[in-house]
Amino acid sequence: MSQVEKKAGLLRRTSSSKKPLKEKVVLMYDEIFAKEDPAKNNPRFWDELFLMKVNLEYLESKLESVDGEDVQRIQDNINSLFHHCVQALGEEHQIKVVNALQTLCALFRGVHQKNKSASGFDIINMLMGFDKAEQRMKDLMERLDSLLCGDSSESLKSLCLKLLLCLVTVTDNISQNTILEYVMINSIFEAILQILSDASSRGQHGYDAVVLLALLVNYRKYESVNPYIVKLSIVDDEPTLDGMGMVVHQALTEYNRQYKDKEEENQGGFFSTLTSMVGSMFIADADEKLSVQTNEAILLALYEAVHLNRNFITVLAQSHPEIDIAATPTTTTPTTPTTPLGTTPPSLDMMSNPELPLDPNLQTSNLLITFLKYASIVMQDTKDEHRLNSARLCLIILTCIAEDQYADAFLHDDNMNFRVSLHRMPMRHRKKAVDKNIPSRPLVCAVLDLMVEFIVTHMMKDFPMDLYLRCVQIIHKLLCYQKKCRIRLHYTWRELWSALINLLKFLLSNETTLLAKHNIFHLALLVVNLFNMFITYGDTFLPTSNSYDELYYEIVRMHQVFDNLYCMVLRVSTNTGQWKEAASKVTHALVNVRAIINHFNPKIESYAAVNHISQLSEEQVLEVVRSNYDTLTLKLQDGLDQFERYSEQPKEAAFFKELVRSISLNVRKNVSLNTLSQDVLLKEFSTIS
Amino acid sequence: MEDAELDLSPAHSDQNSPSPSISSSPSLSLPSTPSSSCGPPQATTPPLGVINEGVAELSLVIDAEVAQRACQEVLQKVKLRQVDSDSTLSQSEEGPDAPPSDPEGPAPGSVKSARRRQRHNPSKQSWLLRLFESKLFDVSMAISYLYKSKEPGVQAYIGNRLFSFPHEEVDFYLPQLLNMYIHMDEDVGDAIKPYVVHRCRQSISFSLQCAWLLGAYSSDMHISTQRHSRGTKLRKLILSDELKPAGPRVRRDPLALTPFCPAAPPTVSPGPLGGDHSLSPTKRTHQRSKSDATVSISLSSNLKRTASNPKVETSQDEPVRLAPQREFIKSLLCIGKRLATLPTKEQKTQRLISELSLLNHKLPARVWLPTSAFDHHVVRVPHTQAVVLNSKDKAPYLIYVEVLECENFETSSVPIRIPENRIRSTRSVENLPDCGMTPEQRAGSFSVVPNYDNDDEAWSVDDIGELQVELPETHTNSCDNISQFSVDSITSLESKEPVFIAAGDIRRRLSEQLAQAPTTFKRDPEDPSAVALKEPWEEKVRRIREGSPYGHLPTWRLLSVIVKCGDDLRQELLAFQVLRQLQSIWEQERVPLWIKPYKILVLSADSGMIEPVLNAVSLHQVRKQSQLSLLDYFLQEHGSFTTEAFLTAQRNFVQSCAGYSLICYLLQVKDRHNGNILLDSEGHIIHIDFGFILSSSPRNLGFETSAFKLTSEFVDVMGGPDGDMFNYYKMLMLQGLIAARKHMEKVLQIVEIMQQGSQLPCFHGSSTMRALKERFHMSLTEEQLQLLIDQLVDGSMRSLTTKLYDGFQYLTNGIM
Repeated sequence: MSQVEKKAGLLRRTSSSKKPLKEKVVLMYDEIFAKEDPAKNNPRFWDELFLMKVNLEYLESKLESVDGEDVQRIQDNINSLFHHCVQALGEEHQIKVVNALQTLCALFRGVHQKNKSASGFDIINMLMGFDKAEQRMKDLMERLDSLLCGDSSESLKSLCLKLLLCLVTVTDNISQNTILEYVMINSIFEAILQILSDASSRGQHGYDAVVLLALLVNYRKYESVNPYIVKLSIVDDEPTLDGMGMVVHQALTEYNRQYKDKEEENQGGFFSTLTSMVGSMFIADADEKLSVQTNEAILLALYEAVHLNRNFITVLAQSHPEIDIAATPTTTTPTTPTTPLGTTPPSLDMMSNPELPLDPNLQTSNLLITFLKYASIVMQDTKDEHRLNSARLCLIILTCIAEDQYADAFLHDDNMNFRVSLHRMPMRHRKKAVDKNIPSRPLVCAVLDLMVEFIVTHMMKDFPMDLYLRCVQIIHKLLCYQKKCRIRLHYTWRELWSALINLLKFLLSNETTLLAKHNIFHLALLVVNLFNMFITYGDTFLPTSNSYDELYYEIVRMHQVFDNLYCMVLRVSTNTGQWKEAASKVTHALVNVRAIINHFNPKIESYAAVNHISQLSEEQVLEVVRSNYDTLTLKLQDGLDQFERYSEQPKEAAFFKELVRSISLNVRKNVSLNTLSQDVLLKEFSTIS
Repeated sequence: MEDAELDLSPAHSDQNSPSPSISSSPSLSLPSTPSSSCGPPQATTPPLGVINEGVAELSLVIDAEVAQRACQEVLQKVKLRQVDSDSTLSQSEEGPDAPPSDPEGPAPGSVKSARRRQRHNPSKQSWLLRLFESKLFDVSMAISYLYKSKEPGVQAYIGNRLFSFPHEEVDFYLPQLLNMYIHMDEDVGDAIKPYVVHRCRQSISFSLQCAWLLGAYSSDMHISTQRHSRGTKLRKLILSDELKPAGPRVRRDPLALTPFCPAAPPTVSPGPLGGDHSLSPTKRTHQRSKSDATVSISLSSNLKRTASNPKVETSQDEPVRLAPQREFIKSLLCIGKRLATLPTKEQKTQRLISELSLLNHKLPARVWLPTSAFDHHVVRVPHTQAVVLNSKDKAPYLIYVEVLECENFETSSVPIRIPENRIRSTRSVENLPDCGMTPEQRAGSFSVVPNYDNDDEAWSVDDIGELQVELPETHTNSCDNISQFSVDSITSLESKEPVFIAAGDIRRRLSEQLAQAPTTFKRDPEDPSAVALKEPWEEKVRRIREGSPYGHLPTWRLLSVIVKCGDDLRQELLAFQVLRQLQSIWEQERVPLWIKPYKILVLSADSGMIEPVLNAVSLHQVRKQSQLSLLDYFLQEHGSFTTEAFLTAQRNFVQSCAGYSLICYLLQVKDRHNGNILLDSEGHIIHIDFGFILSSSPRNLGFETSAFKLTSEFVDVMGGPDGDMFNYYKMLMLQGLIAARKHMEKVLQIVEIMQQGSQLPCFHGSSTMRALKERFHMSLTEEQLQLLIDQLVDGSMRSLTTKLYDGFQYLTNGIM
């Protein structure tokens, strides 16, 4: 063995100086692609092969160049190569393991590259041979599992994960990757969990592990039973779930930080000298650059965890003392909350760490807060496809959260107050909010703020109807919870009301353009029903009696919008057309709003007439409102406090398919880059051994 | 366990076990027994080890033996002294310094003479012995003799005698015992040590208690001496966890066998070891269990919870004994230290919540709150309920702790962890497609619900259940008409009959419900504790129980504790002891004075824990929130003058006032502002914060000259200075003082022993003890005492009337 090693070392050393010799491995590849069994002449052929530095490009191109006819011919050799790769994974010699992993990468990729159209079965046949495939894949997965779980070197583990990522993303559509069937049978779920549960391995491989898990969960999600879905949904080990949360948290925090840096950079530089108009263009520019990096894979992982695993909800609220300020080293190394208590004496810890928290800007954060900040950035600009998808996914996640009892409980927990500084789009007509003055409030306020922010900033020609619907539904779900649990949230509801009224106004004024693409009546119905929630059930969740008066004031004040809306929906519902029914629903929903307007408007006018005031003050109107409640009768509407629960299937299936496809492409691109530059790794091993 | 031990001990007691004890305390019996006719001590002195490990009854028997053999002569001497004091008793009318049974009376010189005399008076030798053996001889007397007797024999006897007292009784005097151990001479230390070591072996809780107290009371020593002091050594010994219980539990640990004498069966004692470790007499049989064995078990695993990792629990059943609790306490203190670095209350609160939520991950564990009265395991800290208390630069905080009561926290198994959201965990399983399910079924199970359908479906069943739990009961009947409506509305869908509601009703309900809601304090980020403390304890317990995954367990209990970092609680502990002592004296003498000593746990010289007083708010808060005078507040809370509730509350108030007035007088408690006086829901007042007692007082408050705080508001609640209740108050004080005087020694000894080696401000100056003793006025007749009480009360009231007058001036000058 050691002789072989030396030989390999010699070879490598000479290979760097002389070109022809470097191709030894290439020669060996050529042998594989010849008809003959390469081991026939050289019984140590496979042994030697895995001592050579892998030439990925060559191997892959070779595989690609194989013609249909040749396939049959060389299949045995390729099967043999695959077999020996798997075997080599069990070797003690780490260089062999590394080379085998890389060779496998090349094999998977090369074969798929070549046979884009080929059926999965053909590919399996070509790689492993049909009859042996099951055994080979079982061996492979077991080896990978033990490498990942064992105490092998970190770079090796990393490479294992890369190989798995490579395998998972080798097709554009993950569900067409038939090899994954074997990954389903031979689960590496436990290995992934183990990586996530341990603080140090999580730090190094957590990201890959989480992405891998997110992708695996999406394999034939809707067609078959995916054991990863099953397993993910029943995980209840808190360190593991927490670990997963940490990885997501880390990734999102990093994004938020980068964005902030970029933003500050832009503002600090030439921006200040330019007009705000031009400046905002530049910001948009910067966003574009950043948006390329929006991390849908991580977001998908978060979604799957929130959607599938009920226990994960607790992780959202799991707070970590976080240092928000950029460039602190803590952001690079993961914090380790799962370190068992006091492995180092805490008092010592305190003393040896003088730079600990004295920073007044230090804010305790949790995954949910970070996610909300992230969402606020992503939602700012939904023009490009990636960002639109990210924003949609963010809203879907929020929908899931808003539906969850436990999540609602901590969102509304009066004891858990946070300052959440959401990013707000720079707009000409409003000043940039001063971050410092954000009050510390229950988290649900931040969610509502985010929704309001979205509503007011996206009224554009290219109307994101889908996002608006989700947004309004999230608000509705939160209100339903508050009504049920009689939680009187101290929130400035007025901002929400005026945002919603403005939205109605926008729908009205752009009726024709919007109707061409969207069913605006559905959105209008949802919005009007939000008002109906406040009108009929306000007594159960409004914070003060005054706020109920203010609601009426706001409705009366903006009565024209409601009047116009009523006219419009009445017109549409009396005509025959595709919107007839949808519009008539809105007319029914408007009954109470109209009753309020019709009841109070004359009263206010007469009050003004009697007192000879042309312009009533708010206080005066409120007074009129207060004294005239008793003569107003409202109609109780049905089902205001009920909602459709979120379900991925069938409505969202297409979205997720597309999303996974784009994530696959992205991951593949990054993985290939990474796996190709494994020289460092090889060097590490050659020096160690 | 005992059986096994007894089997072992006799086997080597003859050769080995006495040696450590004897070697460390040869002076114990030998030098002081010149006329002893006993045989060689090795043979006669029963091995301490046997006593230590034996059952209480057994040790009692041996104790008598020890007493006879080792202490006889010494006893004579003391007896003699007793005679001396008896003789002085006749003179005691004249001098205040001669309590009837005070053995300390004579000066050292007279002791010597007594000793000399005693040699010639062997006939009286059995008197003291008879006292010691009598039923009257209690822990308090034992401690007193231990402290005052200069005779090693007596000390040794008492050291042994400690074994025969109930644990709780001795535990009360633990600070005294340990302080003596640290600061007094060798002989006292040697007398105390076997008992302490024995108890440490038995109990983790006792071990830690000792270790903490030893650390705290050693801290006043000079740093150089401290390092080598006995106290520090004993502390190290305890913390090294060498003092393990003997018994089967140790044997169970397979790891334990390996490091020491792997082949040796437990009964074979490796001789050399006995000599090396002079500290623990019976040690060599337990050597196997030494910490070395368990060191291999990483500390980290101790607090590691068990549910997700059951392997830890089973394979390493007995990890390092003390570690989990120490880590628990340490992390709590650490949180306090870290909080202190944060500038605002809000950040502190947030940080506290997040730190505690991390702490939760390690629970349940074999940890407990030492301030609690029953055995339990801590299972969860409801982190969102924790509050930071008001303090300028330190960060004391109050946490609530969910525990499960258990038989014995050392042996009962640690509860299994239940995830935070236990209800949903069942749902995620049920929601899940089984592997054999068809895609259609699966799709069905994932997409839960059809459109606007009826309520129960839209919210899956368990959601409803959860919600009902969350709804406060009061709401369900009073204002559930809305949900009634929703049900109606669903039926109306079919009947097509519209339901009408009046807008005025909605508005009215809203204001009514807002008015109805219990007056909670407005959340103030600068005073987060106010809201938390305002909530009645029962309500809080119920609320937290509902939100807890452990709430359904019958043994679930809620405890609370204040964690203090950077504060010296030793004075508080002293005050607690005095209060407790007076409380039991008054109880014994059947005088109905009421006080509430709250438990103090001293963790070090600058940290500790306090048991919060439940259902009590400070007078300051009462005044601030209610804007009422104290009397009006009583009327509001308890009803008008003639109601039974008011009268009961008034009586409670008077009894507690009398109790605390006496306390304040005797202990010279200062800094009595309204923030330091609590009022509980039954009308009792409770004084807190004993930072200034005895010789110490806040520098700037010169005007706090009155004996105790008696404001006109107090007197008003009592029914005015001419009322019956006010007379009752004064009478109670008189009775209380008479009772306290009767047992003065019991009170004095607590304070006096703690003065040893102490730098506490309350012992500042040389006259602390004398002044304290004088305040009991031993020399006064009851009539004189009555006069004294009247004077004190008058004085306290007068100082208030002047203040009142000033206030009146202030008001009439138009500031209001």
